[in-house]
Amino acid sequence: MMMRKLLVVDDEVDICDFVKNFFQERGYSVSVALNGEDALAMVKSDPPELILLDIKMKGMDGIATLKHIRDINKNIKVIMVTANEDQDKMDEACRLGACEYITKPLVLDHLERTVENNLKEIKV
Amino acid sequence: MNDKKAPSWVKLQNWFVEKLVTHDGGISPLPGGEKSLTRPVSREIPAEKYDYQLFLEKASRTMIRFKKPEHLIKMIVRTIDEQLHVTHTAVLLYKANKNSYILIDSKGSEGLKIPVGFVRLSAENPLVSVFDEKQSYLVSETGILRYEDVITGLRNRNILEQQPDLYDKLLLIKKQMDLIKANLCVPCYFKKDLLGVLVLGEKINGEKFSREEMGFFVTLANDAAMAIANAQLIENLQQKVGEVKDMYLREHRIFIHTSIALAAAIDARDPYTHGHTERVTNYCIAIAKELCGIPEMANYKNFRETLQIAALLHDIGKIGIPDHVLNKHGRLTPEEYEEVKKHSIIGATILHPIKELGDVAREVRHHQECYDGSGYPDGIRGNNIPLVARIISVADAFDAMTTNRPYRAKKSVEEALFELKRCSGTQFDPVMVSAFLLAYEKGNILSIGSSQQRL
Repeated sequence: MMMRKLLVVDDEVDICDFVKNFFQERGYSVSVALNGEDALAMVKSDPPELILLDIKMKGMDGIATLKHIRDINKNIKVIMVTANEDQDKMDEACRLGACEYITKPLVLDHLERTVENNLKEIKV
Repeated sequence: MNDKKAPSWVKLQNWFVEKLVTHDGGISPLPGGEKSLTRPVSREIPAEKYDYQLFLEKASRTMIRFKKPEHLIKMIVRTIDEQLHVTHTAVLLYKANKNSYILIDSKGSEGLKIPVGFVRLSAENPLVSVFDEKQSYLVSETGILRYEDVITGLRNRNILEQQPDLYDKLLLIKKQMDLIKANLCVPCYFKKDLLGVLVLGEKINGEKFSREEMGFFVTLANDAAMAIANAQLIENLQQKVGEVKDMYLREHRIFIHTSIALAAAIDARDPYTHGHTERVTNYCIAIAKELCGIPEMANYKNFRETLQIAALLHDIGKIGIPDHVLNKHGRLTPEEYEEVKKHSIIGATILHPIKELGDVAREVRHHQECYDGSGYPDGIRGNNIPLVARIISVADAFDAMTTNRPYRAKKSVEEALFELKRCSGTQFDPVMVSAFLLAYEKGNILSIGSSQQRL
């Protein structure tokens, strides 16, 4: 079976490393982007099936990145990761086509389940 | 303990003690001086006989001095990580507002390094709830949860066949331990509350943790819990104090505004005295400014508050005076004047039941007394008239003279000042008259609020 492709976007290296390891150990192919621009380049060159996108990033933030991702590709699943439950931001993210959001600090099996469930909806 | 392990332990203990003293994160020096802590005790004592108890006592005494529990936890994690050669070390700390244990620090030379504040375990997580249940077959007598015990349990045929619930639970615990790669979970208790969990990975050299090491972890964890609980207690206390202070300020504001509203209600009944209360209050405050430092004022409990409220409410008794008297055009008959004179007693009677306003009621009662004893209602004289009443008396008279009344036109400011001086020592306390004149000279009487247009 083909490895499921994830992209982790977060400006904190520790978080990227941790999430990357976490999903690699569970059989995913994981790439990492430390900012919105890099994420967009990767979406263009080698689109993943699902993106874990941090909202609060230096430079282009998660919402702006999401907008640009949708300009390029309408099908990629995007899960927002956020430190505070800013309802307005969440609503905006949903309007822009994010499928779900996860609040930090997060529960690891919830993270795993959320990614799994969203990928199940994609037909291989 | 075997010889191979001993040196690293001694090293750890010395290093730990050193860190406790030199750590810059909010640690205050011990009253006994730092020497007692830094003295390299172990050099004289053979490693095998190192006194854990002594070390822990010192460590725990120092831990209490960390103002922020996060600093203490960081230090513990760093110490264990650098000295014990474990794949990774992490601390989960309980946060009541999230009902979760949040991973607040983590270090790993190998393997997993979990970002700070990124991961949490809910309070229902089997890895947390296992400690509440105190199941003897899960947790060895040190109170520690060991991965190998969980595995042993899962391999036990009896459990699989006869205790399927337990088997399922062990599976869940194993999964949770796998998620954060925990080899050892040490509960941090304060009294009966689980405040946190110290999570350790495997030793890099593959050895098992010794009983002594585990005992050390337990004591360390519980001491840390006590330090955390202390810090949280202080934090809560400070928050409570802040809340009480806010509440007091709020209630005080509400009270002052209620007084202002009441005063406005009195003013509204009498169109001729419109704004009277506000001006009198401002004059009183201006007088009090000049009185600063006189012993009578310094000894007066809650002087400013009493002055402000008494000035605002000095005429509240007019509520009990009939309209036809209060709003009468022309001079009052002797009977009517007697009626008006009742207002100071009525005012005091209204305020009297409010226990907190005891002084205010007294001051309102006497604001029409004269310094020579010719005033009302009690005819008291001199300094027997309470301080605030003597202040209000001057302010009240000045405003009455400088505003139009139904029965006479207003006097000029100069005339009014002359009157104050003339009646100083008879109607008014000379000290208050001087203070008023000083305030006037400084421009504090003219420049106050709405009174400016009136004068």
